Amino acid sequence: MFVARSIAADHKDLIHDVSFDFHGRRMATCSSDQSVKVWDKSESGDWHCTASWKTHSGSVWRVTWAHPEFGQVLASCSFDRTAAVWEEIVGESNDKLRGQSHWVKRTTLVDSRTSVTDVKFAPKHMGLMLATCSADGIVRIYEAPDVMNLSQWSLQHEISCKLSCSCISWNPSSSRAHSPMIAVGSDDSSPNAMAKVQIFEYNENTRKYAKAETLMTVTDPVHDIAFAPNLGRSFHILAIATKDVRIFTLKPVRKELTSSGGPTKFEIHIVAQFDNHNSQVWRVSWNITGTVLASSGDDGCVRLWKANYMDNWKCTGILKGNGSPVNGSSQQGNANPSLGSNIPNLQNSLNGSSAGRKHS
Amino acid sequence: MEKMSRVTTALGGSVLTGRTMHCHLDAPANAISVCRDAAQVVVAGRSIFKIYAIEEEQFVEKLNLRVGRKPSLNLSCADVVWHQMDENLLATAATNGVVVTWNLGRPSRNKQDQLFTEHKRTVNKVCFHPTEAHVLLSGSQDGFMKCFDLRRKDSVSTFSGQSESVRDVQFSIRDYFTFASTFENGNVQLWDIRRPDRCERMFTAHNGPVFCCDWHPEDRGWLATGGRDKMVKVWDMTTHRAKEMHCVQTIASVARVKWRPECRHHLATCSMMVDHNIYVWDVRRPFVPAAMFEEHRDVTTGIAWRHPHDPSFLLSGSKDSSLCQHLFRDASQPVERANPEGLCYGLFGDLAFAAKESLVAAESGRKPYAGDRRHPIFFKRKLDPAEPFAGLASSALSVFEMEPGGGSMGWFVDTAERYALAGRPLAELCDHNAKVARELGRNQVAQTWTMLRIIYCSPGLVPSANLNHSMGKGSACGLPLMNSFNLKDMTPGLGSETRLDRSKGDTRSDTVLLDSSATLVTNEDNEETEGSDVPADYLLGDVEGEEDELYLLDPDHTHPEEPECVLPQEAFPLRHEIVDTPPGPEHLQDKADSPHVSGSEADTISLAPMDSSFSLLSVSHALYDSRLPPDFFSVLVRDMLHFYAEQGDVQMAVSVLIVLGDRVRKDIDEQTQEHWYTSYIDLLQRFRLWNVSNEVVKLSTSRAVSCLNQASTTLHVNCSHCKRPMSSRGWVCDRCHRCASMCAVCHHVVKGLFVWCQGCSHGGHLQHIMKWLEGSSHCPAGCGHLCEYS
Repeated sequence: MFVARSIAADHKDLIHDVSFDFHGRRMATCSSDQSVKVWDKSESGDWHCTASWKTHSGSVWRVTWAHPEFGQVLASCSFDRTAAVWEEIVGESNDKLRGQSHWVKRTTLVDSRTSVTDVKFAPKHMGLMLATCSADGIVRIYEAPDVMNLSQWSLQHEISCKLSCSCISWNPSSSRAHSPMIAVGSDDSSPNAMAKVQIFEYNENTRKYAKAETLMTVTDPVHDIAFAPNLGRSFHILAIATKDVRIFTLKPVRKELTSSGGPTKFEIHIVAQFDNHNSQVWRVSWNITGTVLASSGDDGCVRLWKANYMDNWKCTGILKGNGSPVNGSSQQGNANPSLGSNIPNLQNSLNGSSAGRKHS
Repeated sequence: MEKMSRVTTALGGSVLTGRTMHCHLDAPANAISVCRDAAQVVVAGRSIFKIYAIEEEQFVEKLNLRVGRKPSLNLSCADVVWHQMDENLLATAATNGVVVTWNLGRPSRNKQDQLFTEHKRTVNKVCFHPTEAHVLLSGSQDGFMKCFDLRRKDSVSTFSGQSESVRDVQFSIRDYFTFASTFENGNVQLWDIRRPDRCERMFTAHNGPVFCCDWHPEDRGWLATGGRDKMVKVWDMTTHRAKEMHCVQTIASVARVKWRPECRHHLATCSMMVDHNIYVWDVRRPFVPAAMFEEHRDVTTGIAWRHPHDPSFLLSGSKDSSLCQHLFRDASQPVERANPEGLCYGLFGDLAFAAKESLVAAESGRKPYAGDRRHPIFFKRKLDPAEPFAGLASSALSVFEMEPGGGSMGWFVDTAERYALAGRPLAELCDHNAKVARELGRNQVAQTWTMLRIIYCSPGLVPSANLNHSMGKGSACGLPLMNSFNLKDMTPGLGSETRLDRSKGDTRSDTVLLDSSATLVTNEDNEETEGSDVPADYLLGDVEGEEDELYLLDPDHTHPEEPECVLPQEAFPLRHEIVDTPPGPEHLQDKADSPHVSGSEADTISLAPMDSSFSLLSVSHALYDSRLPPDFFSVLVRDMLHFYAEQGDVQMAVSVLIVLGDRVRKDIDEQTQEHWYTSYIDLLQRFRLWNVSNEVVKLSTSRAVSCLNQASTTLHVNCSHCKRPMSSRGWVCDRCHRCASMCAVCHHVVKGLFVWCQGCSHGGHLQHIMKWLEGSSHCPAGCGHLCEYS
C-alpha cells in the first residue's frame, strides 16, 4: 500500500518534528542542529528543500504551520526557551530563481524561562492564536490581534499545569457547541504517579481556561498528544503517546445536565491501548478524517491503527522507518515487527511496488 | 532531592567521595577556585572571601579571609585563583584594580601577603603559572596585562593588548612562556612572556566580547574560547594560523568555559545572563548539551572541576549565594528527553516519518529502552579515542506515500467533484450520486443514496432499470423492491413476513404490513450501523408502545406464503414517535448474533442471515401507492446522517443534507448542521476544491456558513475612460456617461467575466480577448500597448 520515498534531509543532528501544511504539499522539519527546513512537493511527487535556515540557538523541538489564510507562516519552539513565528517572503529575487524561498522572523516569544517543548496554532475559527508549553509546566496562549501583523502577539493566558509539559493539542472542532479546548501532556519522569494528561477548556463567562478533565489513568511520561480532526463528530478522540498508544473518546455531557457556567463534563472512555511498540511511543498523528492513527516508537516502526465497525481498534499496517514497508493486515497486530526488515523486498514485490525506494 | 548517590574515585592513592550537595553563602559569589588537594574550595565575591572544606556530606566553612573591621575595596574580589603547586598561595583580583596575594601559612589572622596596585581599573582575571611558583599574571579592564614575580614588590612586565579590556588570561600548559588573553572586542592574543612589546599572534575569535578561554589539559594546543555571541569555539593553536576545530552553540552568552578532565571532547560552560544552568558539551555534538546541571537559581559565576583527573565532580558558585558540588551522574541529560522521532500524517494519507538512524537501522534490532540512548560516559575512566562517538546522531527522513488506489483520499476528491447537489429533481440527484459512489467502489454510500431516493421520491417514478442497476438484481413483479431485496440480501428463510398488529382500540385485528421502502430502510440501516450503537430498528422496534398507531412486531404470526395486503385504504396517520420506544428484544438479539462484520465501507452490502425469529416487515403494493409521509423516515435519515458524521464521513452527511434540503433540515439542530458544514468546507479547502467548497457554502442554509463567501467580495472599479471610481452600480459611468466595461473586441458591455490588461486597462470578454491575443500582441483597443495575458 505504501511506497517509501527516503529523503536526504541533511540535518546535522536529530530531527525532532515533521509537519505537513494545510494542503499537504509542503513539509517542514526541525532539528537539534537549530535549523528548520521547508520542503515543497514537486509535480512529480519529489520533495525539494526550498528553505533552510537557523531558527534558534538551541535544539528546535517542534515546527508547525498556520492556516494558509494567514499566509505562509510557521512557528517553532526550542530548547533556547523561545518560540518564534516565521513568514515566507514573497517577491522576486535571485532566491526565487534558484528555487529557494526566504523566511523572516516575525516575532520571538520569550516568556518562558525554560525550554519550550511544543507550539501549536489554534484552529482557524479562533483567529490567529498560538499555544506554547514549556518544561516549567506553563501553557501560554498568544494571540495576534491583527492577522496582518505577525510581529505583534499578546500573551492572553498562562495556564499552570504543575508538571513539566511536553506536548499540547488543540481540539480542532469548529462547532459552536464545543468551546476551545487544549490537552496538555507531561513527560515528568519523577516517580510519583501523577496523572500526566490534563485538558483545559475556555470558559466564556470567566474568559479563562479552566481544567476540565484529568486523565487519571495516564501516569507514565507522555511524549505526544493529538486530538483527531473532528469533522462533525459530537465527541472528541484523543490519542496519547506514552509507554504505549492510547486512544480516548471524550463525549461532552449535555450542558443542561451540568451546572451552567462550569466546565463541560465529559464521559471519558479509553477505547484502545496498544503496547505493540514494546517501548516508548514518541509520536502519534491522525489522518485527515480522524479514522486512522499513526504512531511511532522506539522500535523504529510506524504503526497504523483503525477502528472497525464495532469501534474495535486494530493494527492495519506497520512501516519500517528505514524505508522498507511492512504491510500488516489487521491480524498482524501482534506480529513481530522485525518481519519487515528481514524481507522488505518480498514485501515490496508482494505489493507490486516496483519502485521500492526512491532517492530524491 | 533523591540525588544522594555517592561516587568514589580512586586517584593515585587519594580517594574522592561525595554527593551532589550545596551550601548557602552569605553573599553572591563571583569566582571559585579549588585547592590542589581537591578537598578545599575558595569562594570570592564582592563581600565574601571564604575557604570551605569539601567533606563527604557537606561543605564546611574553614576560614574567612575577610578580616578587619572595615573591609577595604581590596577585598571586593572579581576573581580568585589557588596556586596549583602551593597549597598556601592564593591570589585575588579586586574590583578596584588591586591584585592581592594571600599566604595561608601566615600565623596571624590576616593572611594577606602582597598588594599590587598597578592596574587602574577592575582586574578581571588572575592566573598563576602552572609550573612556576612565583609567577602571577593579571588582566584588567584597563586593557593591560601584568606579570608579577611574587618575590618582587612590583610587576615584572606589562603587556598592552592595544585592544579593549582584557577579559581572561591563561597560561598555556604546553609552552612554558606562552599565555593567551581574550578581549572585549572579540580578539584573542597569544603572548610570549619574555616579549612584552608585542603579541605573538592575534585573531578575531568571536563577534563581541570573548569572556573566557581555557587550554585543553591534554591536547595542549587546543584553546577553547567563549563569547557573548553564545558560542564556544575550540581552536588548534599549534598550526600557523589558529584553526577553528569545533564550534558549540549555546543558548546564552558564555561566561566561563572549563575542559572536563579525562574526557577529551567535553567542556563545561556557564552563562552570565538569563541562563542559570551549567552545561557540559561534547564538542563533536555541538547543538545538544551532553549534561545539564540545574541547581542554581541565579547566574552561575564560577565553575571548577574538583580534581584535574576526575571527570565526575564539578564545583560551582553562583549569584544566588550558593556553592554547589555537582555529580556528573546526577546531571540531567537533555538528549534523553529529546524526542528522537517525528511523524506527520499528510492530507493524502501519506506519512512523513523522521527517526533517529540508530532506531531504524535494520541490524540494530530492538534494544531495551533505557540502555540504548544513555551513553555511559560516567563509567568510562578513559575514553578511547578510536571508539566512534556514541552521542553523534542523525535522523533518517522518509515519506511513505500511498499508492494510487491504496486507500488514499482520492475517493474524497472524486466524490466531492462529481456529486450533484442541486439543480435537478431529487430522484435524479440521488441516482446520480449513487452512481458516483458505486463507481468509486463505495457501495454502502451508493445504497444509502438509493434508499433516500426511494424514501423521498414517488415510487411510481422509480425506473425499474435504475432499480436493477442499484440493487444488482431486479424483477418486474408487483413487488419489485421486496423481491430484489430478498434475492440479493436475504437468506431463503426470510421471505416470511411479519404481521403487525395495530394496537388501535377497535381495529386491533388489522394486520398491517409495512411499506416496502420501510423494509428496505430498515435493512439498509441495519447494515450500515453494523453493530455500532446507533439504534437501527426504529421501525421494527416496539412491542409495548403506548401510542395508538403503533405497529407491533409479532414474531409468532409468521406467514409461510407471500404477504397479502390487508391494509385498509384509509391510511393511518403515521408518526415517527415510534422511535422513542424500545426496540424489540428478538431483533436486538439477532443483531448481536449477526456474524456479518465489515470494517471497511467498501464491503459489499449483505444482510445478516436471520433466524426464523426475525421478522421482516413486508410490503404491500397497495401501501406503496398510499405512500407513507416522508416524515416517517426523517428520524432514520437523521440518525443515518449522524452515523456518517461520527464515522468521519462528513461529506456524506453534508451532501445528503443539501440534497434533501428541507426534508430533513428541521430534524437536525442548527449547531450540528453548521458544524458539519464548516468541517466539510474546511476539508474541501484542504484539497483545494474551491469550486465545490463555494457551492456548498452557497447551498447551505445555515446563516453562519452562507455568509462565509460574502466576506471581502467587494470589487472597486474605475471607469476605463475617465479613470474615476465608478460609484453607481450600473454599467454607465456617472461622470463621462459612457459605458464603462465595454469589450474592446466586440464593443458590447461585458456582463460576466471581464478580463483586462493591467497596463492599459483595456479589456473585454474573456473569450474575445483570449482569441485576440492569440493573433496579436497589441491591445485590441488600438492604444498600442503590448498587452500580456497570463
